[in-house]
Amino acid sequence: MSIRNGFKKQNYIKVSLLKLAIFLGVIFLSACLNSSGSTENKEKDKHISFLYNFSTNSLDPHVDSSYVPLRAGITETLVRLDEENLTIAPWLAESWEGEDGLHWTLHLRQDVTFHNGKKMDAEAVKASLDRALQESVAIQNALKIEAIEAEGYTLKISLKQVFPEFISELVNPNVSIIDVTEKDIINQPIGTGPFALESFTPGSKLEVKRYDEYWDGASNLDSVTFAFNEDANARTLALKSGQVDIVYRPEVESLESLRAQEGIKVESTSTFRVHQMTMNMERKSLQDVNVRRAVDALIDRQKIVDTILLGYGEPAVGPFLPSLPFVPSYEKSESKTAVKYLEDAGYSLVDGKMQKDGEPLTFTLLTYSARADLPLIAQVFQSDAKRIGIDVEIRQIDTPEEYMASNRDWDLATYSNLTAPRGDAGYYLNATYHPTGALNFSGAEEPELTAIIDQLNRTVSQEDRAALAEQAADYVHNNVINSFVLHPSTIVAYDDNKVKNWVTTRSEYYMISNELDVK
Amino acid sequence: MLQIITRKFFEVVVFVLFITFVSFLFVRMAPGDPVLTILNVDELSVSQEQVEALREDMGFNKPLLVQYGLWLVNFIQLDFGLSYATGQPVLDMILMGLPATIELSVGALVVMLLISIPLGSLSALYRNSWIDQISRVLSILGAAIPSFWLGLIFIDLFGARLNILPTMGRDGLISLILPSLTLGLAISSVYVRLLRSSLLDSLSQEFIRAAKARGLSEMRIFFAHAFRHSLPPVITVFGVSLGSLIGGVVVIEVLFAYPGIGKMVVDAIRQRDYPLIQGYILIMAIIVFLVNTCVDISYRYLNPEMKLKERETN
Repeated sequence: MSIRNGFKKQNYIKVSLLKLAIFLGVIFLSACLNSSGSTENKEKDKHISFLYNFSTNSLDPHVDSSYVPLRAGITETLVRLDEENLTIAPWLAESWEGEDGLHWTLHLRQDVTFHNGKKMDAEAVKASLDRALQESVAIQNALKIEAIEAEGYTLKISLKQVFPEFISELVNPNVSIIDVTEKDIINQPIGTGPFALESFTPGSKLEVKRYDEYWDGASNLDSVTFAFNEDANARTLALKSGQVDIVYRPEVESLESLRAQEGIKVESTSTFRVHQMTMNMERKSLQDVNVRRAVDALIDRQKIVDTILLGYGEPAVGPFLPSLPFVPSYEKSESKTAVKYLEDAGYSLVDGKMQKDGEPLTFTLLTYSARADLPLIAQVFQSDAKRIGIDVEIRQIDTPEEYMASNRDWDLATYSNLTAPRGDAGYYLNATYHPTGALNFSGAEEPELTAIIDQLNRTVSQEDRAALAEQAADYVHNNVINSFVLHPSTIVAYDDNKVKNWVTTRSEYYMISNELDVK
Repeated sequence: MLQIITRKFFEVVVFVLFITFVSFLFVRMAPGDPVLTILNVDELSVSQEQVEALREDMGFNKPLLVQYGLWLVNFIQLDFGLSYATGQPVLDMILMGLPATIELSVGALVVMLLISIPLGSLSALYRNSWIDQISRVLSILGAAIPSFWLGLIFIDLFGARLNILPTMGRDGLISLILPSLTLGLAISSVYVRLLRSSLLDSLSQEFIRAAKARGLSEMRIFFAHAFRHSLPPVITVFGVSLGSLIGGVVVIEVLFAYPGIGKMVVDAIRQRDYPLIQGYILIMAIIVFLVNTCVDISYRYLNPEMKLKERETN
């Protein structure tokens, strides 16, 4: 290569690189200018940015299982869950009656309007309920509605069968009341909530603005951004950078660093969810209640809460959150060690293995990764069991419901369940302990328990229902049909210098409310 | 030409039938049950009877071949069905998510080109020099660093610390910078090395020596002859890896909350939303097919030998 050509080439390359650098620089600069412009606009009005941990492509309130329209304050339901007492409270419906559990009358508020200004009367609510029933088989099953009659502000609903928890089922966000005469319900639902939808970018975010005519007092905020990000680390960083004000479920491992940052507050509250150890009662060893008690005694709940959930959970005694009105007092029975229970069941330690009639006690434990805590709980259990001479084989599965229902070659399974999502025990008890329930993976067929649940299904009075639910929970506890590990917490972190009146709810239904404000 | 088009069309039909059939079988045979998702068993009381009734109602109890046939009949009428999860038409959902994913892929490609062409060319021109060594180290690093980690570093740096770039959502070109950079850096490492070795190969060819003998300038030889000659292998690898590029977008889409189709289909797989999965596979297959056809055509222009050979055979 000649010297001259070498020079030429180097010059050419230098110029090219310079051009590239200028090009990138311009892009970068324009990016910076744009971003500062958009933040300025936002700061003029009272605005809150909320970052949620799921995303949705549809805002159809009757179908969308991420419940974003309700959570973002766009829609409301006829009744709601009173977060303090965990009982059913009036919302769009003022009062209701239905002594026989079959025919229900609901009296609606008369001062409610949809975001398009239309009155929310019984006719509109009927149309909304009809659409929910038509769009969702799940809602059809859940509500069991036969016919609806609308008159003024009164709704008369007759059901296909006696269904005492009908009112509590109306808490379901998929039974939100919307104006169904609007065309684009998937992208532009019109509800009655404190905020009206302004724009929606599927899978990314929605912008809502205050609805001035809101029946329960218009919000002080002008607007709210409700954005989605499914990556916990990215959510945490978004709060740290000040791009958002409230973050739902930040990364647990980074909470310490969030706390250390001035002005950030981290809140947590136990949810209606329970992580449980499902026991397959069709297996020979587990048919003995003492073996089930031994499994229960082997679970070191406090250690699991402290090490796996870093303290963000509550050790569980029964399936229901202790603050619910129908939770038994769980009188302390004599607590023995797992080894003692196994000795009662006829097992003894031979050559380091727990055995009965020469047969070692082993368990096949199912777990799945969709809930990250569960495989870790399985591992803790495995190592604790090993210590007293029980071999536990952990089997990772994909789809727990399907696997557990169609395969019976397992003994134990870590599973996670919502136990009273709408403030009533009926759902969980029916699904999990009734022989016909779709989540009855333990194969429980206990005539006494079934009778209690059947009676619960016929009982309308709230006090009587609570007493029956308590009886059922007691039965489950005494007979150790499934063992309950913990109630995980919901964690929310927010900018305490800015956000006012944020409430972390246990139901996780209500997020953006008319009370939410800036300081 | 007409013959080529007819042949290609026939190829597409066979290809689509094969892909849809195989994917239909795989998706249906994988464990999981959409009925449980549709009935929302995690939150609503459902009896086994209701589960069975819905399964029957949705035709899941019919033989697989019959189910495929029914799907095919609808597909021929361009009806991809409704998503189980959202109730929306599958085609609408795909067309809604596709632009974002294409944007992201194109952004990543631009970054990839901006990095790999200068770096690959320089390391070939100055073989074994310091610049070559640096590019080697960078390529190894690029291949070794997981893209989600790199993405988090970018979010931390440009979002949390400098606060100059948005770290999530899709608000114009500016929000495309960080995700494209993350994805582009990850894929460029392969192409830097590939372009370098392909260039070195071209530079040692007879025609380069001939060009030099004719007194052409170094730059002209490099860009008009060597560079052009080194492109076919790079483009071939690109055509083949396009599918995995679009697949690799998923991680970036989740991290930057970029509402593309990758994220959508991962959710669909989790929820066993068969119509959406099936629609996605089909659309992707068509895109990959089209790109590969373009790659085939580009050979004719990049490599004069092929034209010559065609002429000879004719």
